[in-house]
Amino acid sequence: MSNASLDAIAAKSDQPFPGAPNNWRRFFSFSTDHKVIGIQYMVTAFVFFLIGGLLAMVMRGELITPEADLVDRTVYNALFTMHGTIMLFMWTFPMLNGLSNYLVPLMIGARDMAFPRLNAAAFWLVPVFGTLLMVSFFIPGGPSQSGWWAYPPVSLQNPTGNLINGQVLWLLAVALSGVSSIMGAVNFVTTIFRMRAPGMGWFRMPAFCWTVLSAQMIQLFGLPSLTAGAVMLLLDLTAGTSFFDPAKGGDPVLYQHFFWFYSHPAVYVIILPIFGTFSEVFPVYARKPLFGYRFVVVSSLIITVLSAMVWVHHMFASGTPSWMRMLFMFSTMLISVPTGVKVFAWVATVWGGKLRLDTPMLFALGGLVCFLFAGITGVMLGAVPFDIHVNNTYFVVGHFHYVIYGATVMGIYAAIYHWFPKMTGHMYYEGLGKLHFVLTFIGVNLNFFPMHPLGLMGMPRRVASYDPEFAYWNVIASLGGFLLGVSTLPFILNIVSSWVLGKRAPANPWNAIGLEWLIPSPPPVENFEEIPIVVSGPYGYGSDESLVANNPAGELISEHS
Amino acid sequence: MTTPTTPTKPRSLSFRTVAQLVALAIADAAISVWVGRQAYLWMPPQASAEALLVDDLFGFLTTIGSFIFLGVTAALLYSVLFQRADKYDISDGPPVEGNLLVEILWTTIPLGLVIWIATYSYQIYDQMAILGPMEHMNHVPSLSLMPSAEAATLPAVPEQTPIEVHVRQWAWEFHYPDQNIISTELHLPVNERARLKLISEDVLHGFYVPAFRVKQDVIPGSTIDFGFMPIREGRYRLRDSDYSGTYFAANQSTVVVESAEAYQQWLATAAQQPLTEADNRAFREFTKLGDRPISAGWKTVEPAPPPRVNFASSEEDSYE
Amino acid sequence: MSTANLDPTLNTHSAHAAEHEEEDHRMFGFIIFLLSESVIFLSFFVGYTVYKTNLTDWLPAGVEGLEVREPLINTIVLVSSSFVIYFAERFLRKDNLWGFRAFWLLTMAMGSFFLYGQAVEWMGLPFGFTDGVFGGTFYLLTGFHGLHVMTGVLLQGIMLGRSFLPNNYAGGEFGVAATSLFWHFVDVIWIILFILIYVWQ
Ligand code: HEM
Ligand SMILES: [Cu+2]
Ligand SMILES: [Cu+2]
Repeated sequence: MSNASLDAIAAKSDQPFPGAPNNWRRFFSFSTDHKVIGIQYMVTAFVFFLIGGLLAMVMRGELITPEADLVDRTVYNALFTMHGTIMLFMWTFPMLNGLSNYLVPLMIGARDMAFPRLNAAAFWLVPVFGTLLMVSFFIPGGPSQSGWWAYPPVSLQNPTGNLINGQVLWLLAVALSGVSSIMGAVNFVTTIFRMRAPGMGWFRMPAFCWTVLSAQMIQLFGLPSLTAGAVMLLLDLTAGTSFFDPAKGGDPVLYQHFFWFYSHPAVYVIILPIFGTFSEVFPVYARKPLFGYRFVVVSSLIITVLSAMVWVHHMFASGTPSWMRMLFMFSTMLISVPTGVKVFAWVATVWGGKLRLDTPMLFALGGLVCFLFAGITGVMLGAVPFDIHVNNTYFVVGHFHYVIYGATVMGIYAAIYHWFPKMTGHMYYEGLGKLHFVLTFIGVNLNFFPMHPLGLMGMPRRVASYDPEFAYWNVIASLGGFLLGVSTLPFILNIVSSWVLGKRAPANPWNAIGLEWLIPSPPPVENFEEIPIVVSGPYGYGSDESLVANNPAGELISEHS
Repeated sequence: MTTPTTPTKPRSLSFRTVAQLVALAIADAAISVWVGRQAYLWMPPQASAEALLVDDLFGFLTTIGSFIFLGVTAALLYSVLFQRADKYDISDGPPVEGNLLVEILWTTIPLGLVIWIATYSYQIYDQMAILGPMEHMNHVPSLSLMPSAEAATLPAVPEQTPIEVHVRQWAWEFHYPDQNIISTELHLPVNERARLKLISEDVLHGFYVPAFRVKQDVIPGSTIDFGFMPIREGRYRLRDSDYSGTYFAANQSTVVVESAEAYQQWLATAAQQPLTEADNRAFREFTKLGDRPISAGWKTVEPAPPPRVNFASSEEDSYE
Repeated sequence: MSTANLDPTLNTHSAHAAEHEEEDHRMFGFIIFLLSESVIFLSFFVGYTVYKTNLTDWLPAGVEGLEVREPLINTIVLVSSSFVIYFAERFLRKDNLWGFRAFWLLTMAMGSFFLYGQAVEWMGLPFGFTDGVFGGTFYLLTGFHGLHVMTGVLLQGIMLGRSFLPNNYAGGEFGVAATSLFWHFVDVIWIILFILIYVWQ
């Protein structure tokens, strides 16, 4: 892998190469090209990120004072419910699916996903259930107000008495999201199992693809459990059954098991591709191979397996018997071991390298630090006696926002900046990128760190009003929240302006190793002129091995790189 | 292309590097121990025997957590500050692909660490002897090898009629069956193990007193036995900890821990009081909604009318 | 191949190739899907077991238990149809289209008989969907399974129709193989369900 002829590539890709789709209208069509679908996912998800973020700003506005004075309590409750739901089902999942959609076929040397039409159908469900969720703001009674867990009996209460109510729409949207995710998961798993380029054995596959595989397998075994719970809840709500209604002999705690059996593993569906992103980004900008590649990729699979055995740690205070509490405490602690292996491996990858602090690297480093912090508070939460105190307090909210904003959103930004030149064929503006990083990193810590002392002091989550002693930290958190809102502006400006006006990107601007970097930016329809023949591992930095035995770009980039 | 010594290769460690590493580890440990001490200050007052145990655990967790966090971020920070490529340097770093020994170490050491943490947490839990709803003994059925000798540090549960805790959307009500008292303030004698029966009349609620570090979901359809040991006199906040709908945040009350004499005194006076309507924030806010020029809210489940009690407290009363 | 991308009109070749590739992956994808689908049933089964072992007043007032005889006949018919569909597939592999159609149609008939029997049973039951958790889980499980049987029969109908298109099934047919796999899946689920609901009373 020499990348010697960067200039030649740059010169070549100045002219739009043949077959390069330069028509923006295709992003609004039922395209079956995985790259178009990937970008459709990402842009749609980002729109919902902004909506979810706006809701969060209003919540932070309410919480800047102890009294419930900005919005009505029902509105506040709808806000946090919809914020959580949108951020998970409309932003994080579709965003990561989009990223995986774009990258996995390129990284494994395939021309598309295994089932392109299924892929497109899965995507087009996203705007459908997104709209369904949004519509619930405008119906009598408003959106669901039972939190993103939708625990019965609160979720069964339906004060309007209407058949079409916020909770019903919420359940339908979540069910559709599940259908879309299962379609996606079948597609990803099949693609990764069956469509790797010749020579790409399991241990030559980039870590990102390993993490996508692990994450999508979780969807396959986890989501059905949520679906089962959601169907039963919907029947209770609309058809008069009594599965979860204690007033009629049902068992509300069973719902919690159904819900968490999926929703704990779901956090790994989210974080695994971010782990993958870290594993891709650190070697490029530290100019060193991923340290302990095999340990790192195998630990993803171990996480997949363990993630199915820890769900009760969300129910330590739900009347769970002691033996279960202790069992799940041990399993929860155990899952931090493969996670720790990854963290140490990234530090060792960075250590002693030749670091280039471009925006993707900054976001990856910032994300790693946040993840470390969240992992430590996670182990604390796994310790039952301590969790009993902070369960359902702001401490938990702080913990998961460090993972979901600190690590996941920052990791997503790292990925977007890193692959932006590949996806669009343009370079982003480095200065705006760095500004974006600084604002985000400060915003995250300002917004989410204060939640930890608040939780320790005993402030419950999901409250519209609180006792005055909590005001101090809440003011800081609110300021951080508004800063996070501001932080998206340089990002949007950067993406939009550089997509239109940015300098043309060469095939391999970062001098990175990987099949996606061997073809033009943006890649042509069907990606590879010639299916690559892989002859070495994915992180050969510092050695002279060649990654492939042929030139996958064919005549598009004639110089063999 | 490659630097002659790479820090990830233990064989090339010189005495000086080892000494430096040891010094750094000691510094890290010293700071972490200090942070772990601070952890006690971040918590509410220690008003129960459980609080002492939980805070010890939290201090321990904070110490270990700080050690790891500081160690890892320091390494990253060092890299970021001192291991940057020069502006025009496009060469690669050393092609170190891994080191089996290091990898095995950083798998087994954390494994040992989490087993240690879990075992310690288990012991704390055992001592807390939290009464779960399906639990009829007061500590965990011994998982054989675990040392549970210290389990006896808390006095056994005395045979007394439990106080009934009734919670609904959105009020707390405490029934003292022996004295036939209903109160919206929970009074408990200090240094005596409290016994409660948690009863929800509608949805899930949570019984949570931060100063006691105890919390238990209250599940409609089942009665939950619950207990803890108040050890410090004072007034503390009781909060609903499991989201229960519109006025969830307003569903708070006060716990008063007092001397045995004061407690008996209170029981005696409260029993004399006639039933009166207590102040109830949810109901108050709900009825005032009609006064608003425009209602910007959605239809809500109606709050239950304020409880009628022998002894009423107000949410505005002070607490620690 | 190397010129395929240069001119959109020349793209047909690669599109064709992609389609063939897609067929190869379908069975793999379908099996994964079925594995995932089985977890929904598993969740319902676990739920049923938890309810049944924990609830004190399990059966609604006035309900003694479930009649086993007719459902058992139903079970035998459905399970045998798994063998019948197997023979249908063998005929297809031997290019005996009429043998295939006959056995395939017999499978459909047996599936329909099952659905009919189920409907008759439902009509005669003294409890409804909203009669406690027992009524709820009973209709949920049998109904959700029944939906799968119905889907299976519909799929079989489509495959049968397609067998009349000339040369359609030359060289094996993914649709037939998948439908038949689906049918076996539905059968296995029923056996577990039957044991759980009818045998374990
Ligand atoms: C070292 C690894 C981790 C451990 C040991 C851990 C442990 C825990 C525990 C015990 C809870 C429950 C706290 C409670 O509700 O009382 C929790 C909550 C949560 N965690 Fe983690 N966690 C880890 C990593 C993650 C990751 C990687 C994510 C997401 C990408 C995540 C997201 C969440 C979320 C969203 C919640 C709260 C869910 C809710 O209540 O709405 N955690 N974690
Ligand atoms: Cu949030
Ligand atoms: Cu979890």
